[in-house]
Amino acid sequence: MTPTIQIRNVTKRFGSFVAVDNLDLSIGKGEFFGFLGPNGAGKTTTIKMITGLYAPTSGSCLINGFDVHRDPVPAKRSLGYVPDQPFMYEKLTGREFLYFVGGIFSMPVAVVKERIGEYIEMFELGDFIDKRGEEFSQGMRQRIVLSAAMIHDPGVLIIDEPLVGLDPRSSRLVKDTLKWRTTQGLTIFMSTHLLEIVEELCDRIAIIKKGRIIYEESRGAARRSNGQLETMFLELTK
Amino acid sequence: MPQFILILNVKANAFIKNVTDFRLQSVFKNLSSVLIFGGVALGVFLLSRAATGYLLQQAHIGLFLFHRFLSMLLYVFFITVNLGNMIVCYATLYKSEEVTFLMGLPVPHLTIFAVKFIDNFFYSSSTLLLLGLALLLGYGSYFGMSPWFYLFTFAGVLLPFMLTAGVLAVIVLMILIRVASRVGIRWLLAGIMIIYLSAIYLYFSAVNPVDLVQQVMKHYPDVNAYFGYLDPPFVRYLPNHWVSEFMYWTVAGDPAHASWYLLTLFYILAALLVTAWMVARTYYYKSWVNASESRPPGSGRPGFLQVRSMEFGREGILPRPADVVLRRDFWVFFREPSQWLHLLLMFLLLMVFLVSISSLELKLTQPFLQTISYLVVFLFDGFLIASISLRFVFPALSLEGDAFWCIRSAPVSLRKLYWQKFIGSFLLIATTAEILSVASTSVLRDSPVLILVGSICTAFVALGLTSLNLGAGAYFATFREKNPIRIASSQGASLTFLAGMVYLGAVVALLVVPLNRYFEILIIRGTTSPGWLAIPLVAVGILTAIVFAGSTGVGLATLRRDF
Repeated sequence: MTPTIQIRNVTKRFGSFVAVDNLDLSIGKGEFFGFLGPNGAGKTTTIKMITGLYAPTSGSCLINGFDVHRDPVPAKRSLGYVPDQPFMYEKLTGREFLYFVGGIFSMPVAVVKERIGEYIEMFELGDFIDKRGEEFSQGMRQRIVLSAAMIHDPGVLIIDEPLVGLDPRSSRLVKDTLKWRTTQGLTIFMSTHLLEIVEELCDRIAIIKKGRIIYEESRGAARRSNGQLETMFLELTK
Repeated sequence: MPQFILILNVKANAFIKNVTDFRLQSVFKNLSSVLIFGGVALGVFLLSRAATGYLLQQAHIGLFLFHRFLSMLLYVFFITVNLGNMIVCYATLYKSEEVTFLMGLPVPHLTIFAVKFIDNFFYSSSTLLLLGLALLLGYGSYFGMSPWFYLFTFAGVLLPFMLTAGVLAVIVLMILIRVASRVGIRWLLAGIMIIYLSAIYLYFSAVNPVDLVQQVMKHYPDVNAYFGYLDPPFVRYLPNHWVSEFMYWTVAGDPAHASWYLLTLFYILAALLVTAWMVARTYYYKSWVNASESRPPGSGRPGFLQVRSMEFGREGILPRPADVVLRRDFWVFFREPSQWLHLLLMFLLLMVFLVSISSLELKLTQPFLQTISYLVVFLFDGFLIASISLRFVFPALSLEGDAFWCIRSAPVSLRKLYWQKFIGSFLLIATTAEILSVASTSVLRDSPVLILVGSICTAFVALGLTSLNLGAGAYFATFREKNPIRIASSQGASLTFLAGMVYLGAVVALLVVPLNRYFEILIIRGTTSPGWLAIPLVAVGILTAIVFAGSTGVGLATLRRDF
């Protein structure tokens, strides 16, 4: 399988503190990858390096063969990102924010308009899409930011805690959408603390602790169920 | 009380940790602060001493007039401290996350109020306090005052004077927020603007500096006498008058008379502190709830401003993504009341300045005085441009805010984004600066050469100040701060403003000798010699290029930092 995301010997230091230590991972096309770890393990730091928000101290992150730091524009062209905190421009309405993101990805206006229509229906945004961001609840923001991450039809989606603040109905909607998208060839790199979601959705997982990978599942490993992952996670991270 | 001390202690520790952070970047920042603040303070000290000496020894205006000019300066100073405290108070006492956190704890509201008021006063007034001290030192050193004078005047006069302005600001703000919940924020803000502009206009109309000079100069050479009967009656009730009177009677050798004004200042400050305490006890929590529940005008819907050509979902003139960044900046700016209201206020002040200057007779017959008046007007133009740049250009990158992840993770060249912000800001600042320059220079002399020189210098200054503010704004970027006013009044912003003043001072220094030579030839021989002005223009151009390259380099390098 051709790797879509490659993390090559990546280290990130903040002063003398090593947040991520010589991380090496590769995720193939259409894979739903779960990235797990206890608090402060280095999950968000890794995600920020993949998305270009942090520069690695050493090593490189490649998206579709492009180095995110040396060749950021082509690398990010096929990238969608949902941060752990769904911040958006508070003075823009949800619709304006989606037009803005579409424009940032240089999409034609007509296509953005069409996609906004699709996402209004898919994520049930109709009630609040024309209100300003400052009026939104956490769940509304999360749905808008998810739509923004997918509006340009990315090949790679990086998600940091996707279900924070979502009600059960929206949560189901998001899970179904993400799973369906991977069958269409979308590669998903997801960090979450919700182990049952990982069991339900992910094809493969890795566990990080103190900046180092302590467990990485091989492709085609048997699927876990009935809380096996929780037992394994607690055992590995204690 | 223990809670009050505990919170202040935590704040003091955070401050101490900040200034004793010995990482290379922090040491560089702190050293730069000391150098620039120290340099400017030294400049103000020298200027204050030289101006005092010039006015008393060369211009022979006498002690009374000198202290009336000081009183006018203090009035503007008082309004600045008052307005600055009021603006920053709103962010500190009402919109800060710290207050929200403390309100959820069993801490009395009055304790929160007291802590945040002290925090706010020193945050928003520390630069002005330093400048006030430098002015005081310059003044005192001319009169050969003892060290006790400085200590006493700083702690016993300057600090209470500024505190009076600060306490008054917080009292008015608490009442205004309560009123705003009934009349609406827009009307209230418009009302405040009108009140402050009227206060400045009415004060200067009443004291009438030109008339005052003529009245006093009738008694020349006996101009050191006291002409208090010339003061309009209401002036006697103003704190700036008490301070200037204290200074006058101190240097006149009548401490008994001076102490009367000092006591008045203390009594009024004490009365205001008690009033603030009482108003806070009744209104602080209520007004905090009002401010927390209030929505900005037009929130929840796209807004009252309709500009169809700037709406999203339309084909733009610029290529994408530049087009959507422009649209976003437009809407984010015009949907934030503090942004467009400040812009409006600044343009009103520019208009007041232009109207005021057009009524002055500045075509002088002595070359040196003509040079001074030309450079003072140029410096004032520069000061206004520096203020506008600081307020609107410095926060430009910080205002990307927490949502900057959206741009940073997208296929957008950050260099292009920086240049787009620079070009947009420069066009606006340069246009404003040129209008100001042409309008103000034409009242000095009907000379196309001088207008051209002023225009070229202004273009350089606009370029220098825009690049300085954008670059420094990127370097000191605080993405967590949503309030543009707080961003523009942060320590980094103060440092940038002072650096801008140093740059303006250097431009003036490069112009002074050649300009004086030009006026000598023009006024004495009646011919023009533009050649005298070519060399300083080149020098100003080189200086600006250095400022531009340095600031832009720092700004672009900063964009590579982790977000």
